[in-house]
Amino acid sequence: AGGPLAHTIRAKLTAALQPTHLEVRDDSPRHGGPPGAETHFGVLVVSERFAGLPLLQRHRLVHEALRTELAGPLHALQVIARTPQQWQSDPHA
Amino acid sequence: GGSGSREAVERLVREHPVVVFMKGSPAQPLCGFSNAVVQILRLHGVEDYRAHDVLQDPDLRQGIKDYSNWPTIPQVYLNGEFVGGCDILLQMHQNGDLVEELKKLGIRS
Repeated sequence: AGGPLAHTIRAKLTAALQPTHLEVRDDSPRHGGPPGAETHFGVLVVSERFAGLPLLQRHRLVHEALRTELAGPLHALQVIARTPQQWQSDPHA
Repeated sequence: GGSGSREAVERLVREHPVVVFMKGSPAQPLCGFSNAVVQILRLHGVEDYRAHDVLQDPDLRQGIKDYSNWPTIPQVYLNGEFVGGCDILLQMHQNGDLVEELKKLGIRS
């Protein structure tokens, strides 16, 4: 589901971080703008790549994967980055 | 350069132990994420901090992103060090790290 940008975000995060779980949420309608605009997203990424990395570095990996999008139409990106172990012990966090 | 040059931004982040770059002001945040940062600081009793409204200054808006290599606003700096945006501050609030970081600055929350 979702528009072209949602699709791109999903594809790029999948390729860059090989997530075991990935949720891409389009929050754009809640932030005004014209219908169909894709500007505000939230992502939940569960990946082994985050193991041993502090939050800041985990988020930087996500930003890096979406560098082009963040320089363009993507204005805001909420990031939750978990390891599979963290995700298993607390799937609601 | 102007307000967005590396030197200008570096001066701003070192000007105060707690510096926030946001959309709007603490009294009137113009974005939910910026508002969240203001509310978290308030919860910790941090009233004395420096806030810069990037909507008033496009040079600064781009300059701070380049400086931190962080693509979004808000941005929080403690003791001149980039800490993160809204999500990271919220998680630091939830896991107790923020209390520890503020303690290092002599702020009891």
